[in-house]
Amino acid sequence: MSRFVDSVADWGVNVSIALTALRTNLMRSILTTLGVMIGVFAVILAVAVGSGAKVSVSQQIATLGSNMAIVVPEPDNGDGPPRPTERGRLTERDASAIRRQVPGVNAVAPQIRNSAQVSTAGRNISTLVIGATPDYGTVSNVTASEGRFLSDADVGAAARVAVIGQTVANKIFQEDAPVGQTIRINRVPFTVIGILESKGSNLGNDNDDQIVVPLSTMRQRLSTSALQGPDDVQLIFVGFDDEEALLAGQKEIKSLLRARYRVAKGSVNPFTVRTTTEIAEATGTVTQIFQALLVAIASISLLVGGIGIMNIMLVSVTERTREIGLRMALGAKRRDIRNQFLVEAAVLCIIGGAMGLTLALLAAFAFQRAANFPAPIGWDTALLSIAFSAVIGLVFGGYPAIRASRLSPIEALRSE
Amino acid sequence: MTPPLLSTSELVKDYVIGGETVHAVNNVSLSIERGEFVAIMGASGSGKSTFMNMIGCLDVPTSGTLLLDGIDTKLLSSDELAEIRNRKIGFVFQQFNLLARTSALDNVAVPLIYAGIGHAERRARAKAKLEALGLGERLENSPAKLSGGQQQRVAIARALVTDPLMLLADEPTGALDTQTSLDIMSIFQGLNDDGITMVVVTHEPDIAEYAARRIIFRDGKVIEDEAVKSRRRAVAQ
Repeated sequence: MSRFVDSVADWGVNVSIALTALRTNLMRSILTTLGVMIGVFAVILAVAVGSGAKVSVSQQIATLGSNMAIVVPEPDNGDGPPRPTERGRLTERDASAIRRQVPGVNAVAPQIRNSAQVSTAGRNISTLVIGATPDYGTVSNVTASEGRFLSDADVGAAARVAVIGQTVANKIFQEDAPVGQTIRINRVPFTVIGILESKGSNLGNDNDDQIVVPLSTMRQRLSTSALQGPDDVQLIFVGFDDEEALLAGQKEIKSLLRARYRVAKGSVNPFTVRTTTEIAEATGTVTQIFQALLVAIASISLLVGGIGIMNIMLVSVTERTREIGLRMALGAKRRDIRNQFLVEAAVLCIIGGAMGLTLALLAAFAFQRAANFPAPIGWDTALLSIAFSAVIGLVFGGYPAIRASRLSPIEALRSE
Repeated sequence: MTPPLLSTSELVKDYVIGGETVHAVNNVSLSIERGEFVAIMGASGSGKSTFMNMIGCLDVPTSGTLLLDGIDTKLLSSDELAEIRNRKIGFVFQQFNLLARTSALDNVAVPLIYAGIGHAERRARAKAKLEALGLGERLENSPAKLSGGQQQRVAIARALVTDPLMLLADEPTGALDTQTSLDIMSIFQGLNDDGITMVVVTHEPDIAEYAARRIIFRDGKVIEDEAVKSRRRAVAQ
């Protein structure tokens, strides 16, 4: 260890020797550095994109609402393909039953969703229309940033009122104040009563490109896909007080619905109950695999860069055999020679690493701008990548450096 | 009584070339006292360079003993040999062997790096040696901007910078013209007057006449070892 500390004192000298040597073969040094640069760039960007995906997914799940169960009338046959023929039903009465009978529930939001044409004078766009109740705001953590959200009265009267998302507002109203204006959804006139608070977008999915209308109005005015009964809904969000209640509630909802639909023992549920926790876990695993795969592929380019370093260091040692002999004659010990070439390799790698990092920062910034996708590069990633490239230098520069240090002084000195 | 600076007994160096053993140095026993000025002569292949490499601790004998400043070099590790080369021996080569694209000052300071001496002291000592050799105006010149004689003086400054006991010069004038060769020999004689032991390997009889003792090698053996009868003083211009 003290030997190591001793040699640290010589690093400054070794760095200047290395810089002189690298300047001597400038073109070669640049090309070698390029290999490391591309490798480090690829690895950092892979890490950044991977963690960006993680952030996006957790944001997506947060916008969905936490501690929530989602009930859909699709048969729960595990991971198998959905079987539309066995499609069950879900009604507003089921929603009320869940609200009354399952403990720990704080909100139940039955919904009908459909895409629709929305128009004002001259402008016409397609967006997602959600027929919902005031509870939808509670469960999904949605409020109105201007005007107001749906009320029970709106739902009771099947009022033609709409709360529109920020994106919709921007597209069809541009500069005008939307609240109080009339829009046509599939030709039916609605009064805008509020604007939804912006939830941004994740994974290219714009959370503000939607309109919320009363569930009753949706059912009566906006013809939807084949719903079998007069109070059928497409899905129900169930909000719980906490995670514990959610876990217990998932089972409660299942047994309640089995009882209501008289599902025979042993047969598959004609509905599915998923929790946000499950969704988060599943997508978490997927994004983790995604990130690992990206980093693995990127690491290959770093490996190739490292091999380039080893190659060039072997050439450098061969070319400078005479210099090595001279240095040995002047008193250089084996470790002095070894450190000289290690530092040279490390300098190449650190310069390459710094360039790769800079390039990755620029690319991540551009990516964020262009694709609206977060690619965060933290200090830890930056430092780690520089340290990592130094390690690449030490590993791939190690063999050439040790080879140089083992040369016999007189044979090295005699070489041409 | 202090031991001789250098003494060899039955020193042998064998090379195996194409399955045949060649005795490059064959049973050489001699000593060199402190303060001597020795010329080692011989045709190429006579073993003079191999002998010099061994006494310079650059090469290891096949057998025999080499005592340097009383130390048996057989017992030393490669790092300890490096330290001896650094502290006790200064080398001057025919082709100067300066680092290209490196200033005279930095070239001279190289041995001090390996002696573990700090930056400021390195520069100060290198500067002092270069000034002593008349190169005070050329500190920042790279070898490409120096004449052959100047380059060899930089190399001598480098050999002297660790204040060694002995200077080993291998054909130091081989790449220089007559007058410049005289300048170099004059420097060597001056250094020898100051007490540094000089060993010069040369094949030029004229150059050997500036030494005080002449050792002639042939076929790996010493065939003549005597004082130079009419020693010449070199006068620098």
